[in-house]
Amino acid sequence: MSARRKGTRLSADTLRFSFDGRTFTAQVGDTAASALLAAGVKAMGRSVKYRRLRGVMTAGPEEPNALLTVGAAPANIPNVPATQLKLSDGMVLQTQNRWPSLRFDLTALLQLGSAYFGAGFYYKTFILPKWRFWEGMIRRLAGLGNAPGRSDLPAPSLEHTHCDVLVAGAGPAGLAAALAAARNGARVVLAEREPAVGGELEFETAKIEGRSAGEWTCAALGELTRLGARVLTDTTLVGGSTGEMVLHTETAGMPGPARLIKIRPTALVIATGAVERMIAFTDNDRPGVYLLGAAERYLARYGVAVGQRLVLFANHDRVYLAAARLAAGGMTIAAILDTRVSGAQSDAARSAAAELTARGTACLAGHAVIAARGRRAVSAAVVAPVADPARMQSLACDAILVSGGWGPVIHAALQEGGTKRFDETLSAFVATDASDWRVTAGSANGAISLAAALKEGVNAGVAAAARAQRRGPMAAVPAASGDPEPHLQAYWRTPSDERAEKTQFVDPQNDVTVADLRSTLAEGFIDIEHVKRYTALGFGTDQAKFGGQLGAAIVAQLRGEPVPAVGTSRLRPPYHPVTLRSLAGHRVGAHLRPARVTPLHDWHLAQGAEMEAMGLWMRPRYYRANGSNATDAGIIEAGRVRTKGGIVDGSTLGKIEVAGPDAAAFLDAMYLSKASTIKVGRSKYMVNLREDGMVLDDGIVLRLSEERFLATVSTGHTDHMVSHFEHYRETEWASARLTLTDVTDAWAVIVVAGPESRAVLASLLGAQWQESLARLRHMDFATGLHDGHDLTVLRASFSGELAFELHCRPLIAKGLWEALVGAGLAPYGLEALDILRLEKGYLVSSELNGQTTPFDLGLDGLVALGNPCVGRDLLDRPAFREPHRPRLVGLRASDGKSRFLGGAQLTEDAVSAVPVGYVTSTAYSPALGEWIGLAFVSRAVPEGATLHVRDPLRGDNTTVKVVSPVHYDPKSDRMKS
Amino acid sequence: MSRLICPFCGPRELREFEFHKTLPNAGESPFERVYLRVDSLTLSVEHWQHVQGCRAWLQIERNPSTGEVLMTRLARSGEAP
Ligand SMILES: [Zn+2]
Repeated sequence: MSARRKGTRLSADTLRFSFDGRTFTAQVGDTAASALLAAGVKAMGRSVKYRRLRGVMTAGPEEPNALLTVGAAPANIPNVPATQLKLSDGMVLQTQNRWPSLRFDLTALLQLGSAYFGAGFYYKTFILPKWRFWEGMIRRLAGLGNAPGRSDLPAPSLEHTHCDVLVAGAGPAGLAAALAAARNGARVVLAEREPAVGGELEFETAKIEGRSAGEWTCAALGELTRLGARVLTDTTLVGGSTGEMVLHTETAGMPGPARLIKIRPTALVIATGAVERMIAFTDNDRPGVYLLGAAERYLARYGVAVGQRLVLFANHDRVYLAAARLAAGGMTIAAILDTRVSGAQSDAARSAAAELTARGTACLAGHAVIAARGRRAVSAAVVAPVADPARMQSLACDAILVSGGWGPVIHAALQEGGTKRFDETLSAFVATDASDWRVTAGSANGAISLAAALKEGVNAGVAAAARAQRRGPMAAVPAASGDPEPHLQAYWRTPSDERAEKTQFVDPQNDVTVADLRSTLAEGFIDIEHVKRYTALGFGTDQAKFGGQLGAAIVAQLRGEPVPAVGTSRLRPPYHPVTLRSLAGHRVGAHLRPARVTPLHDWHLAQGAEMEAMGLWMRPRYYRANGSNATDAGIIEAGRVRTKGGIVDGSTLGKIEVAGPDAAAFLDAMYLSKASTIKVGRSKYMVNLREDGMVLDDGIVLRLSEERFLATVSTGHTDHMVSHFEHYRETEWASARLTLTDVTDAWAVIVVAGPESRAVLASLLGAQWQESLARLRHMDFATGLHDGHDLTVLRASFSGELAFELHCRPLIAKGLWEALVGAGLAPYGLEALDILRLEKGYLVSSELNGQTTPFDLGLDGLVALGNPCVGRDLLDRPAFREPHRPRLVGLRASDGKSRFLGGAQLTEDAVSAVPVGYVTSTAYSPALGEWIGLAFVSRAVPEGATLHVRDPLRGDNTTVKVVSPVHYDPKSDRMKS
Repeated sequence: MSRLICPFCGPRELREFEFHKTLPNAGESPFERVYLRVDSLTLSVEHWQHVQGCRAWLQIERNPSTGEVLMTRLARSGEAP
């Protein structure tokens, strides 16, 4: 270990953190990976399938191996790439996929069986009945890290914003683009994934405009700030679609970010750079194998040497530049393996090689690394000529740095609707820009050299600004020198026998090897999407960033086809893992959605109501004074209504006022029976159909005057019914003279039900109402004033008792309600409401479930009226009359006491697997003293038949008798009294 | 199509709108009217409602292959397609 050098991201202050229980010291600015490398720690995890010891390979979000758990359970955060995790003092880190410790991992015994663990192993081996035996073990081993039990992270926020030009990526191309756009007057947002801008410029030795790359970066950042550009670091473009892109800001690489930003730019510049590619060689997953660019980043940013004696392995010119920079950083370059023969190298590369050779580096053209040696970490590289792989020699080293070229980051371009094409000079896919809304620039577009990246950046920035109508004369491209084109020659894997292919890793995070790809193709999974799913290539936290392009290229090679013929698997958002917590933002718990409350809400709460959400509405399920649970309290509350009377808050009932000269004709078209025949002051129970003939909703329609109706609709259907009516008014009835007003909130509803209801109301409402109360027949209503406010009293019943609905202004609802309670009527909740309606066989959403026709519900009489309403003509379909159609029936337990539950299937005997119906609702009836239910049963089953209730999951198996759906007071004498 | 342009409210987020159905019907019989649509890879005529805005019913034409919205107008202002 040599002393640490200066790094661009480090401050002199130190901090302490723990890693698998050991305490380490780091410098402020360190990532977990840089601090551990500086401390000489190479092993940072084990692989998910074979449990091979793994070290960090990259310096970015593409890291496949070094995934750490931050913090202790239950607030642990799993799968944080060590490369992205900025350390803070006292941080507790743990490795993953090992038991009991990283060094002595018992599960690593799996490696011994790895010959059997090829692609598709799980699919083929763990099938029933064997799966049951293995399941417990697999569940313990499978997956990355452990899910947390809770989160201690601060709540994330969501920002919506706009700009002229969004530039994703602040490397040379992104900086140049942002500068050009801002100089032309565009409002620019520049988003950079790293904590600092610059990208490659952080270790670039070439000059820009005569200045060092670092000085140019500082100047560019300063100018952007002066021009009002918004520069967001630690911020990644994770997805989006045309018009709206999503940025994700993380706090120091930790998931559970400070912010999710939804941004609408007029134009988008994608300058997201490129991810360096690995080359497949035997044991290329050993700790000590790094991507070449990662080694340069660790040196420049964190002053860390990943090794002291290096072997470099690449297929392009830039390896020589990198070698010079690494050597200047104090590392010994033992050898450079260039897969190209010297004839394919550029003159610059040949002269650089000559210079390095003179300083003691073995520059081997036309050579490749065949294998890495060393059990816990790399100790040597086995190398050989590409043309003669048998002529192997071993080179001692402690790190192998690999660069197989670069894969442009085109995720955003493709997700936004772009297509890709294969760039032959770079042997990589680049995005095709179809419009000036989105421009790709720099290495994201295959422009690897600094000069080309700057030029593309400027042009992209000018084009993007122009799209936002910001035009200016300045488009000077900063001159750059000393960074040539790479002259890359495609090279994907070193030749080997098939046995060695078993440890040639393509996607280390998922333990996908060349051997897996070969066997997958042999088994017939040819398409890259099938290969992905059979092998898991490109799954996991890095989402194909590390191994996706390499894997696709090797598949192409094995198939004997060009790479573009294979393509790559689809790159889906998000670009890097985003926690569900950050997507949810503030919309959790009570903030998930708004709650609608009735004017009596506070009264219910004060009186101990157990509230229940119905859609957005909050309603009392029962009052705790009547029992400790809904069933017990509901029986008390419902029983009281039948013997004396009670009141229920019906304010949530949907109310739509339909007014105008064409109101009656319109409602005739909307309902199965006619509204135009209702007399003013009368109301009618009505049913709506969907246009396909199924029952949509039911409710009472009141005729307030010749041209004014109040249609009441189910609480849960109100929004839909308003839209349903509005759609017809705006299309087929566009010329009708008609208004629709949702007056749900304008009227509170108190239902007064029970034998004493009329007497209580008479005593309460005052002299002017006495005549009306005495006169009202069933379904009549009267309007007037109470306390100076409008009041409608409708005599209608959903309980089967004499009952009145008071539609009053919300202002007087609480006074009326309290007076009714004072007069001796106790409130009841939804549970009692449900018992009462079930005893009478009235329908709710369990029966109006969108699959039932009026015939199924026993509403044949309404159809027979022949009103040509919406949905009426499709009711004539013959299938609706067939004997297997369901019919609404009542059920009673055969023994008069057993309980059965809604949702259970009904069969004709105890063994049949073919149901003849199903139970929709059940309740214990206090009036009958037994469990009753409603069900849909095939028409072929007669009343009086005995059916078996089959409820295997809940274990309620009993027999029931089919009876009339009206369990209580079949002639309705009580409500008409 | 992450936004629709409401004739009353201007460009608004798609999440404020609710899709209702595609047009036109394949024919005039009840069955065709309810179940059959003229299907096209490049043109879809649809009814949407601005439910979380002005509640206008809109008729939009869009290209389902690209998501591009070709035309937006009030449903009531035109002939049934
Ligand atoms: Zn609108």
